[in-house]
Amino acid sequence: MENLLLLLDGFQVVFTLQNVLVTLLGAVLGLIVGAMPGVGSLAGVALLLPLTYRFNPTTAIIMLGALYYSNMYGGSFSAILLNIPGDTPAVMTALDGYPMAMKRKRPGQALFTSNISSFVGGLIGMLILTFMGPALADLGLKFGPAEMTALLLVAMTSIGWLVGKNPTKGVVLTLVGILIATMGMDTLTGSPRYNFGNMYLLGGIPFTPFVIGSVGFAQVLKLVSEKNNKVEPHLEEKLTIKGSLLTRHELRRLLPPALRSGFLGTFVGVLPGAGATTGSFLGYALQKSFKSEEELGTGAIEGVAACEAANNAAAAGSFAPLLALGIPGSGTGAVLLGGLMMWGLNPGPLLFSTQPDFCWGLISSLFLANLLTLMIALLIIPFLIKILTVPIKLMIPAITVICIVGAYSTSNSMYGVLVMFVSGVLGFVLDRNGYSTAPMLLSFVLAPLLESNMRKAFIISRGSIGIFFEKPISLVLMLILFAIILTPIVRGVVTKIQGSRG
Amino acid sequence: MDTKKSFGVRTLIPILTAVVGIVFLLLGLTQYGFWHELRGPLPGFFPTLVGIVLVIISALALFQSFRDPARPVPMENWLPAVGALGIILGTLVFGMLFSIIAFLIIWIRYYEKYSWKTTITTTLILVAIVVGVFMFWLQVPFPKGLILDAFAY
Repeated sequence: MENLLLLLDGFQVVFTLQNVLVTLLGAVLGLIVGAMPGVGSLAGVALLLPLTYRFNPTTAIIMLGALYYSNMYGGSFSAILLNIPGDTPAVMTALDGYPMAMKRKRPGQALFTSNISSFVGGLIGMLILTFMGPALADLGLKFGPAEMTALLLVAMTSIGWLVGKNPTKGVVLTLVGILIATMGMDTLTGSPRYNFGNMYLLGGIPFTPFVIGSVGFAQVLKLVSEKNNKVEPHLEEKLTIKGSLLTRHELRRLLPPALRSGFLGTFVGVLPGAGATTGSFLGYALQKSFKSEEELGTGAIEGVAACEAANNAAAAGSFAPLLALGIPGSGTGAVLLGGLMMWGLNPGPLLFSTQPDFCWGLISSLFLANLLTLMIALLIIPFLIKILTVPIKLMIPAITVICIVGAYSTSNSMYGVLVMFVSGVLGFVLDRNGYSTAPMLLSFVLAPLLESNMRKAFIISRGSIGIFFEKPISLVLMLILFAIILTPIVRGVVTKIQGSRG
Repeated sequence: MDTKKSFGVRTLIPILTAVVGIVFLLLGLTQYGFWHELRGPLPGFFPTLVGIVLVIISALALFQSFRDPARPVPMENWLPAVGALGIILGTLVFGMLFSIIAFLIIWIRYYEKYSWKTTITTTLILVAIVVGVFMFWLQVPFPKGLILDAFAY
């Protein structure tokens, strides 16, 4: 009950004209950028990050939250109409969304199903976040430096394993991200380190240009290979809102999978390193064990509803560990966390008690963003084809310019542009060779927290590693960490043995 | 896709990350300090540990890289980087706005061979976004370049 009152307080923060307009702007921009094939939510949020500089911290974060959340809606549009997922969580949406649009000739209904399910899933995620966020923060208050170190190691390692096909490459970039973050000033003593005599490096590598480069500009270089791909949906009729409406029977078919996936997705989102993509996969897998009126994979409403509800619920659920423990569930979450830190906010167990206005304002703004995004997502259905068919040939110079101007605007100096350029080129080369940059972003953001907790733990224990195994919470977390590290190794050995036998 | 198993960028990446690890651990040990008997871990402590793990994992990635297929990057993929570099260098002389306009026109009209109508429309829309959002709304003072600066004084 207390949480609901705090949520109402949060709505008082949100319902100012500026904050409502900013949520609306974030929802529109996030939706459009998320819908554009080839851009995706990570690059979308990174490119739009400089836009928040104009506002006070609360308004800026509200806009970031709306951007992040509406991006999740947008990713499914290109998956349904073009069979090109706008981001990875939308991969599963394409399995039923595209056949529903093309084989069953019901593109409008597929979009409508996706939007309504996203709303339902997101709403469930936000309601659970309202109760779970503070509870998780209370649990987090019991965490000392050793527990936090173990938790951060689990978060970093799990995303290293999950992103990309090769866990070794994920871990390499996780470690590189940590080392990049150590450049500049020592977090505890404030003394300069690893600046190689360079004045600019004293302040470390600036977050926004680094993210814009390694995600946004790297994506531009990648897009060149796709610029001749035809992205034209073959629709027989124009998309209209009226023609996209679902019947009452279809709404009844949509609700059970959306509700189930909403709960499942939220809990997946809360897990460190899991996030919307895993949520979407599991939501679809769960639906397979239930009866669907049409077979999954042939354009079933249940298939679209299950994965869309799950990925939006996971996106909402991931705010719980992000706010309460300072741990993001994905690369996009890491950008969001970086944005929070840029504004001087330190997500963690104390955030709910020290800055309740901010916390509850942000959570309330997610409810508003969910509603506004649903309305906009339904209203733009007739214009979607135009948005989705912006030629990649024109997007390449446009995004290049946005990357340069955005990177410059962060510090009003060409140093930011240079950081963006170098990290973009490196990000592209790494991506081309199977190294996903998401673990690097996550570790770059989390490294200062990990370092300060680890050093504090060693100061307390006077250098004994035993501190990580003494208390139950840290012991359990360390066991999880070892399980994460050993699983691929054991799996590899078992596969080899089976291969040699068979 | 070229699947030749030869030395290439995929092999170079783990070598470079191992070098980064070695640099960080050496500087950590020699310049910033690892451990103090009374004060505990010093500024070089954490990067040194991470550097050691990075060297080990990079060695593992290096062995795995020989099995990876080579994925050469077509020259065309580097053109946006050349364009961005052009804007960066052009900014120093002609200013950022002029360099951006020149880049957009060259790219859209002469590289992608769009009509003048599309070129001008797209350039105008993008310049309006840059000027409206960044110059007026966010009040970013774009660099004017050596030439305009010379006229200003």
